[in-house]
Amino acid sequence: MSDMTYTSEMTAPTRVSPEARRGGLKAAERRFGLLLLVPALAAFGIVVLFPFLEALGLSFYAYTIEMSEPEWNGIDNFVEVLTDGAVISSFFTTMIFVGLATFFSILLGLGWALILNHPFPGRTVLRGLSLMPWVMPAIVAAFIWGWIFNSRYGLINALGMELGLLEHPLAYLSTPAGAMAAVVIAKVWLSVPLFMAFFIAGLQSMDREQMEAARVDGAGNWQILTHHVLPHLKPVIMVTVVLGMVGNLQHFDTIWALTGGGPVRATTVLSIEVYRRAFEQWDIGMAATVGVVWVATILPPAYFYLRELMKGTE
Amino acid sequence: MKLIRETLTAGLLAAAVAVPAQADTVEFMNWTFTEDSGRDRIQALMDNYAASSDHEVEAIGYAWSDINKNAFLRARTNTLPDVMQVQGRFLPTIANIDQILDLNEVFGKDALEAQFPPGFLAMGQVDGKQVALPWIAGTIGMVANKQVLEAAGVDGIPETVEEFRAALEKVRDTVPNSVPYGMATKNNNSILLDYLIWAWTFGADVIGPDGKPDVNSEAGVAAIDFMVGLMNDRLSAPEIDRPDARRLFGQEATAFYFDAPSAKKFAADFSGQGDAYIPNVMPMETPTLAADGTPAAIQWGHVLVMFGDDNASGDSAAAGFVQNILSDEVLIDFAVGGGALPPTTSALASDTVKSDAYLTAWAEAAVAPRPNPIAPLSNGGAISDMIGEEVQAALLGQKSPQEAADDLQARLEEALE
Repeated sequence: MSDMTYTSEMTAPTRVSPEARRGGLKAAERRFGLLLLVPALAAFGIVVLFPFLEALGLSFYAYTIEMSEPEWNGIDNFVEVLTDGAVISSFFTTMIFVGLATFFSILLGLGWALILNHPFPGRTVLRGLSLMPWVMPAIVAAFIWGWIFNSRYGLINALGMELGLLEHPLAYLSTPAGAMAAVVIAKVWLSVPLFMAFFIAGLQSMDREQMEAARVDGAGNWQILTHHVLPHLKPVIMVTVVLGMVGNLQHFDTIWALTGGGPVRATTVLSIEVYRRAFEQWDIGMAATVGVVWVATILPPAYFYLRELMKGTE
Repeated sequence: MKLIRETLTAGLLAAAVAVPAQADTVEFMNWTFTEDSGRDRIQALMDNYAASSDHEVEAIGYAWSDINKNAFLRARTNTLPDVMQVQGRFLPTIANIDQILDLNEVFGKDALEAQFPPGFLAMGQVDGKQVALPWIAGTIGMVANKQVLEAAGVDGIPETVEEFRAALEKVRDTVPNSVPYGMATKNNNSILLDYLIWAWTFGADVIGPDGKPDVNSEAGVAAIDFMVGLMNDRLSAPEIDRPDARRLFGQEATAFYFDAPSAKKFAADFSGQGDAYIPNVMPMETPTLAADGTPAAIQWGHVLVMFGDDNASGDSAAAGFVQNILSDEVLIDFAVGGGALPPTTSALASDTVKSDAYLTAWAEAAVAPRPNPIAPLSNGGAISDMIGEEVQAALLGQKSPQEAADDLQARLEEALE
């Protein structure tokens, strides 16, 4: 047996791994990852992207119920929408609704989370019950709140008259401020459990020793909240603010069921405006245009939300 | 090989003979099926047709306010029903759906002219095309609740606007927590009807014969001012839509409101007393400004439309279903039971119709019903919203009657250009 000389020729594999040929294991993992994404991307494309692109296309056409085919009219729809007092007022109504609903959802969600983060008898049951509004369909919640605020047989008026506080029933949903307050309250009631869950998760990751040390140093509840809890929850607050804004910008069902966008147009947010243009006025082209403007208002908060999410994954 | 082929052929032939012809299922989209007062009546229609033919009928129910929207969504996805119930005033809108059938071609023009009086047949025509057949007919007029009037000490039915107001005040002062007149104050489509009737009562045309709006004339402003006055004096209330008014009427908290003849079925249901309550529902002439004035009312009716080339023959299951529910033995019970007129010539001549006290009273109260002038407009939906918004703004005190009328005039002029 002759001495064997170790050469590269002898050690070279006779068959090259397919992964190696296509860029190595990492590339293969990436391809596999992309493959796993295909069903979600397909669903996104069919359910979200295609309808959006179709609506985007229609926003450049005149398309009313009388037309068998849409007619191209360039940017006329956009000019009309952006100079239409009704749409501009809907835009401001949307901002008021989003601002109030997001602010109070976060405020109450945080407050409730702080309460439920402390140990006390029955806390677990209360935490479970607190999730009920989140579980409840929004339309059911709207009808419940509609009954509470109703001027004829509503709970608030019944209590007020029973206690002698009211001489006649008040029509809360018939004043612009009352109707806006009602839809904000209903939406806040629906949103608080979700935000509370976010905040409780954040609170549970806090360093208790740090807070105890602060207390030993003489910090009161307010100092603990402002100097320890809120800074710790800052990323959670950022995400909930953006998530709340996106959700409230998209909101339709509670408002439609509770006020129908009224009285007059007091609660006609952009989602209601789109519905009215499409299904009451049968102007699909203008509805698509308002819809595109509506999406444009959602994009900035959605971008910040995604950026915060990406930060978390990096 | 030959044996196999012969065996297969014989088998297929045997199977073809053994299996009866496939029964068709007729899809019937309607809103009456979703209402408590109508579900059993529609079910009875469907069962009757199934029993008298080889075909089944499937009800596709949508609420009245959602049915037109769903018709258009279904048109986009090619899932239109075979037959659909349509509110007469929305027919010009529904007639825009491409798949709608010309029923002269399905049933024959001569046959339809023999079946319906010309006035009723016209309910189903749009631009000269017979796109629908009348199903039930009547008017939107005022009804009074006998029990409430008696409780309030109101003697007789008010004939003038002044008497009407006095009666409302009596009801307000004697019936606790009442809404004396269930005026529509919430939904644009409902506000429109109340407004049209009062505008006509005060002498405003809303949209004149020349197609131009006439809402801020002295008469137009007076009509809105009258409606606002009722609100200010708690003779009407905010947050009232037609369904609310029906409920309050049946519960004896409302003395008057505008509705179709089917008001009696709603009163029967909401009173909890069933048909025994119907004698308390009194059709009445809309009060007029002067004692000898002409009471205002709006033409009203439900029509039936058919979709799809498969149904274009008079022999189709869907055509059979339509003719079945328009036959005397089915239609008279259905229409009269619901308080409406059956629009076929033979049904109108029947003893059941002629001897029905409620229908007779309703017909006498509707002296000269007028067509809804907004319905045939291509942008009728947008115009209904404009009228609803401006009138509601006045009713809720956000605008004066004059401001609301002026703003409405300006918006209508732009929309009708």
